[in-house]
Amino acid sequence: MKALALALAAIFFIIAFLYLFGILQIGTSHPGRHVSHFVLFAVLGILSLVWIRFQSNSAASLR
Amino acid sequence: MTWLQAMVLAVLQGASELFPVSSLGHTVLVPALLHWQFDRRDPTFLAFVVALHLGTALALIAFYRRDWARIVRALAASVARGKLSDDPDERVAWLLVVGTVPVALLGVFLEGPVRAFFGSTALVAIFLMLNALVMFAGEWLRRREIGAATSRALPLARLGWRGGGIVGLAQGAALLPGISRSGSAIVAGLLLRLDHDDAARYSFLLATPVIFAASALEVPKLFAPDASAVLAQAGVGGVLAALTAYASIAFLTRWFHSHDLRPFGWYCLIFGAACLALALAKVIS
Repeated sequence: MKALALALAAIFFIIAFLYLFGILQIGTSHPGRHVSHFVLFAVLGILSLVWIRFQSNSAASLR
Repeated sequence: MTWLQAMVLAVLQGASELFPVSSLGHTVLVPALLHWQFDRRDPTFLAFVVALHLGTALALIAFYRRDWARIVRALAASVARGKLSDDPDERVAWLLVVGTVPVALLGVFLEGPVRAFFGSTALVAIFLMLNALVMFAGEWLRRREIGAATSRALPLARLGWRGGGIVGLAQGAALLPGISRSGSAIVAGLLLRLDHDDAARYSFLLATPVIFAASALEVPKLFAPDASAVLAQAGVGGVLAALTAYASIAFLTRWFHSHDLRPFGWYCLIFGAACLALALAKVIS
């Protein structure tokens, strides 16, 4: 699960920057940079990192 | 846009954003009734709308400032600890995160396609009537549930993660002009066994990050070259929207102590039906 969370975080951050630099245009209404898409995926990336932290802690408490 | 129009729109936004009557629907229907023509893509109009939303978001933060202080502290503590505790504020903080993600996804990806509905007054009026039916159905199902002996209201902190996500998803319906964000979130909360107080509180807390983030991201529009023409109107409008929104939350939090959604349902049904009739008769367009 920790690997999944890490992979998700990486994917979300990559997608975030692709939207920020205007490379990714899926689900957008106009061409160009998309700050709101960037913020959304960056937040999802951060949440994935928080998930990793929660998992590390629960694994430590199981030991 | 005249000053009178600007102030009417500000009061309308401040009140209808939080009352379960759809602010988007009202900003389409009321100008149509008054035969006010606005170009919704005009940079000056967009800057004005951003100021109104910012005002509403600030009013929400000001009203729930103590709750937000506790929630942010609890969230930071749980992240630092890497573990969830039994603290109700911590639970509410994560419920807000869980509820915000679906509505943010829907908002970012569907806002553009849904804009097509804004042009049709008749369609907005139909959605407003649908909003009424959703509230009536929610109240009816809720009362049927209360009738069952096993049913008791659930405190907000005990709402499950799935429930939090469902309320967040329900908020997404408000992308359609005529469907109310707070109305759909409160109905979803009621169906998940929250009482009116907690369902309304969760709905208002959930609305805060969404409205604030959406308006904060648009702040550069306030400083666009064309926007300087409406900066004074935007400033005064933002303050007026904030004051109206604050008064609306104060009223609604008291209202939901002892009342339900049905009066708002009747209002939406009657106003929606009247607007639909006028649109079909081509009195408004």
